[in-house]
Amino acid sequence: MQKVGDTLQPSIERILALRPQLVLVSTASQLEAFTKQLNEHRIAVYVTDPQDLEGVFRSIENLGKLLNQERRAEETVAQLRKRATSVTEEVKSTKPIKVFYQLSAEPLYTAGRDSFVTDLIQRAGGVSVTSDVPEAWPRYSQEAAVAARPEAIILPTDGSMGSANSEVADGLKRSPAALSGKVYRINGDFLSRPGPRAVDGLEALAHALHPEALKK
Amino acid sequence: MTANTEATLERGPAVGGLDDGRVTLRQTVAACSLLLVALLAAILVTALFGSERLPTRASICAIASLGQSSCGLTLDQYTILLEIRLPRIFLAAAVGASLAAAGASYQALLRNPLAEPYLLGVSNGAAVGTMIALVFFGTWEWSRPLMAFTGALAATFVVYRLAHGRAGASPERLILAGVIVTTFLSSAIVFVTTLMDATRIRSFTFWLLGDLSGTTTNLLALAIIVAIVGTALLATNARSLNLLMLGERDAFDLGVEVGRVRLIVFFVASLLVGSSVASSGSVGYVGLVVPHLVRLSLGSDNRITVPAAAFAGALFVVVADTVARTIIAPRELPVGAITALIGAPLFVYLLKRG
Repeated sequence: MQKVGDTLQPSIERILALRPQLVLVSTASQLEAFTKQLNEHRIAVYVTDPQDLEGVFRSIENLGKLLNQERRAEETVAQLRKRATSVTEEVKSTKPIKVFYQLSAEPLYTAGRDSFVTDLIQRAGGVSVTSDVPEAWPRYSQEAAVAARPEAIILPTDGSMGSANSEVADGLKRSPAALSGKVYRINGDFLSRPGPRAVDGLEALAHALHPEALKK
Repeated sequence: MTANTEATLERGPAVGGLDDGRVTLRQTVAACSLLLVALLAAILVTALFGSERLPTRASICAIASLGQSSCGLTLDQYTILLEIRLPRIFLAAAVGASLAAAGASYQALLRNPLAEPYLLGVSNGAAVGTMIALVFFGTWEWSRPLMAFTGALAATFVVYRLAHGRAGASPERLILAGVIVTTFLSSAIVFVTTLMDATRIRSFTFWLLGDLSGTTTNLLALAIIVAIVGTALLATNARSLNLLMLGERDAFDLGVEVGRVRLIVFFVASLLVGSSVASSGSVGYVGLVVPHLVRLSLGSDNRITVPAAAFAGALFVVVADTVARTIIAPRELPVGAITALIGAPLFVYLLKRG
């Protein structure tokens, strides 16, 4: 496999040199100009921008169709959906926990209305205190986060993020969540990538929020 | 003192002699007291605004008791007011004071109305220093202000050397040198960001535009101490700065140790810019617009201008940051976007008037 740059700076030259039939773009990287360039070179582009778990499943199925792997994609999605449903079933009777999702501390970023993480939190038996905020990943006011009195704080960290974002933002250190020790560090690759691992993220979230309700 | 008087008539600035020292001191104290009262009032009023509404009377009571009493505020409200909002307002004041005092001194020392931390490349020097500190010594907190100061100082001297031709430093050369160093350092910033992982780049683009939201208690304390001590040091050199506005040779003839004053101003201004960039990124236009406004209203005697610019700068950034943190609440804007939005048109207006 060849490396063609990173999410924010893909190398168009190297990509063209590889003569791909299809390029997959995630809008998380906001690459409008890049997509346009690929269009000009008549290279098919598939843009995926799921805003909830169903959207993630849909994009997996669409990719299956595009790559002539329809059956495998459907099987994968069926399995993922089964796991997702069983999580939702298990936490069904629990009281939803108010969650603050801290994408980064300095400055404070969170998951907003258009983020699939907001959906994951809800499926895991929580309710994101920032679920109404416009955008997918808004820059958020510290005082608003404190005022929301989150009962749990989720920190996506580890994985490709290394040790970044492993501590709660200073302003939130006295929140009910931090005081009661309900700060959960979850592999950022599960929560920040709208792919099959999103279900791992969902399971990890449910385990963190409702350990008592989950059998395994 | 004939040279002195002639120069005053010719070039405008009121050059302080010994006899008018007392008058100036009185004016300085009056102007600064007035600005200090305005600043304290602004701090109190802006502390009542934020993405969260807090009960007004209880908030004022809690601030007046210096945090000793909660005055009926809930724990969350108390935390919001005294641990999030007020520290941020104090940081805004420290940053504004630092940048404006540094700007006023650069303008006097370099005899250039456009000399400003950002345009001179000093802010970008500090930014590169801060970023290097974050990439290589991420965990050691004090590395940020230290490297920012080093970067600011290095940028200052490079610009000064570049600007100094055989015929001395002309204003045009200085700005040209500043632009060259600024753009060079901007590229250096882009280069350093490629060394970072993608998740951190976003925080940096925000920080580069000036962001007052995330600082530590230590860096806040440092910013406040540096702002006060730095402004005081620059103010004690204000008489020399007045004479320097006549030109280095004239100032030398009038007994100013030009080299020493230049070194002090470069050093102290770099310290001021370094500490504010380390805690809040590059907040633009403060060092340019505020000293000009102060000079327009209070005249160009640096004994008044430098301390008054510090107070006015503090006031300006406190107000600008209140806009930044409330206008799209609970989301936030970087304060640098607001200072530029207010500062750029204001500067155009000043240019047209001048």
